[in-house]
Amino acid sequence: MNKKYLLPALLIILAVGLLASCSQESKTEQGPITLEWWQFWTDPSISPTIDNIILEYEKLHPNVKIKRTDLTWANGHEKIVVAFSSGTAPDIIELGSDWIPEFSSTGHLADITDSVINDTANFYNWAPGIYKDKIYAFPWILGTRVLYINRDLMNKAHFPEKYVPTNWTQLKNVCYTIDSLEKNIYGFGSNAAEKHRLYKKYLPFFWSYDGRIISKDGKYCVFSSDKAYKTLKFYKELTNSCSMVDTQRRLEDAFLDGKVGMVISGDWLLKRIYNERPDFNLVTTLIPGPEYPGKSFAGGEYLAINAQSKHKEAALDFIKYITDAQNQLLFCKANFSANPSNKETTKDPFFADDINLQTFVIQMNASQSPPAIPEWVYVEDIIETALEDILFNDAPIATRLYQAKIDIEKLLKMR
Amino acid sequence: MSSRGLTGRLFVSPWFITLIIFWLFPLLYSLYLGFTDYKLLSDSYKWVGFANFRALFSDQQFLQSLKNTFIFVIGTIPVTTIIALLLALLIDKKFPGRTIFRSGYFMPSITSMVVIALIFTNLYSRGGYIYLLADMLGLSPPENGFLLSNKTALFSVMAMDVWMSVGYYMLLFLAGLKSIPKELYEAAEVAGASMWRKFVSITLPLLKPVMLFIVVINTIKSFQVFIEIFVMTKGRYGSSTAVYFIYETGLNRFEFGYASAAAYILFIIIALFSIIQFGLLKQRGLR
Repeated sequence: MNKKYLLPALLIILAVGLLASCSQESKTEQGPITLEWWQFWTDPSISPTIDNIILEYEKLHPNVKIKRTDLTWANGHEKIVVAFSSGTAPDIIELGSDWIPEFSSTGHLADITDSVINDTANFYNWAPGIYKDKIYAFPWILGTRVLYINRDLMNKAHFPEKYVPTNWTQLKNVCYTIDSLEKNIYGFGSNAAEKHRLYKKYLPFFWSYDGRIISKDGKYCVFSSDKAYKTLKFYKELTNSCSMVDTQRRLEDAFLDGKVGMVISGDWLLKRIYNERPDFNLVTTLIPGPEYPGKSFAGGEYLAINAQSKHKEAALDFIKYITDAQNQLLFCKANFSANPSNKETTKDPFFADDINLQTFVIQMNASQSPPAIPEWVYVEDIIETALEDILFNDAPIATRLYQAKIDIEKLLKMR
Repeated sequence: MSSRGLTGRLFVSPWFITLIIFWLFPLLYSLYLGFTDYKLLSDSYKWVGFANFRALFSDQQFLQSLKNTFIFVIGTIPVTTIIALLLALLIDKKFPGRTIFRSGYFMPSITSMVVIALIFTNLYSRGGYIYLLADMLGLSPPENGFLLSNKTALFSVMAMDVWMSVGYYMLLFLAGLKSIPKELYEAAEVAGASMWRKFVSITLPLLKPVMLFIVVINTIKSFQVFIEIFVMTKGRYGSSTAVYFIYETGLNRFEFGYASAAAYILFIIIALFSIIQFGLLKQRGLR
């Protein structure tokens, strides 16, 4: 290019760029507010309900537009990380419970403590949204796991009608008895072969025994305790003696095929049974434990606000709207979700009249989430690998637990 | 510059710009990242010199992944090559239904790796056909299936990889066999050479270029094994490989600096092997 054209060309590009940025700025200041929201609920059964809630909100707030973007579980986490890193994250983000510390500890989420402190008593399970005593995420649709029992197999094994195991001895007994019915029938479904599953099944046993992974001051790993040893010994016996070991989906398939007597699962299985096998002779019950009920794993979906958002107040207002009792009820009915975060919602007959949904509601009170630490994703991996070594490769329990403790403490020291 | 020269450059520019933006820049940038402690969510990243490389060589997970990769490479390449050659020799003979066999053996090569991996996951699981067959033969398969045991997970993936790859390499061998002049075999027959002698003295030497080509591409492919591991074991049960480690570190933990350093170590290993193999090709005048 001729050099004499170079300078004017650069000036024109600069001017156009400046004009574009000015016009964009004036839009955000004067025009209606657009709140960008990234969320994961894409199932056709729930999508229209979310659209309707948004429409209703926009009617009530004519100056606010909600721009909803659907993410998938396959790559949603990556997209959120990239968006935060590149400064293009939306105003509101739905986050899985164990992702929150990762983003709150790096300053990407807005501290909403002062604005929600009065709401805490009305909602379940704030713990995963709290980091260093500040609240960064609002609980929305939660999830816990309960014990599913095939009543036909229980009957076949001559257990009394309405009998359910409430402690570990009884659980083991039911497991062994059903397992001995036939060669291809197993007492219990034990997880393997998938990430993010096995630890969710083992930890509730550990927590039921009052076990801790990290010390209260967050500095040490106390996982290799006597409690961990005893619970793992029990879980190993359950897994190796009378269980089918497979992925969650395959365990659930086998349960529905009448090949597994008991599985621990979430509300998605209940939805599947109601839709596909309404005739299934099902019993759901609380997780057995040293004290009944035992602890279960609590996870779920949380709503957080981008720390860089220009519309934090409006974003919080929308979050409070979508998590209010009525909207959560609409959501749960459409999606058949058993654990709304709003306590008021759980009082609706939709939950009270369904004995299985009630099990989930009650179990939520005896559920626990993993410690909200930014390193959790690594800690989880260390625990899961140790569990696999112990359960499936005969690694000595005490030595392997101690190795896991050392690995976790190495991580904690790197802070 | 003449207008002809400018036009030429303009025509080349789409490819050239793409090369720079999507190939050269990421390649060099990841090399740079390998010397930093860059994590995607952190705001800053600082130069750490060779710290990532040093840490990798004392990282048991990485070393185990590297070891598994070598086991995969050393275990699959000879087996794949020998079976592919044997199949090619069999298919080369004229017999009814030869085309069906040829297509059948080649079929896995054109089927999605993910689909095959999912099918094999079922076959290997407790109650799957391979599991039941092993049980019937009294081979005492692992209690929870082949993919849920440290002793068998990696080898099971390797076996599937061999099954999947032989068809493709068989076709390459077949092409090589077709190019061997028939006169050589006729002359050997006249001289009273046995089948084995013909194979050792004619077939094998003349197939060497094809064999070396197969070994080179299979080595590079095997060093980069990922999809099978991702679908079948998620790197569990002692089956993690180098690329899977890089994926986990980079795209699950977002430790881009560490992952880039690991990627460059693998790059150097593959480059070394390729140089040795190309050297062999050159030495034998087979290029």
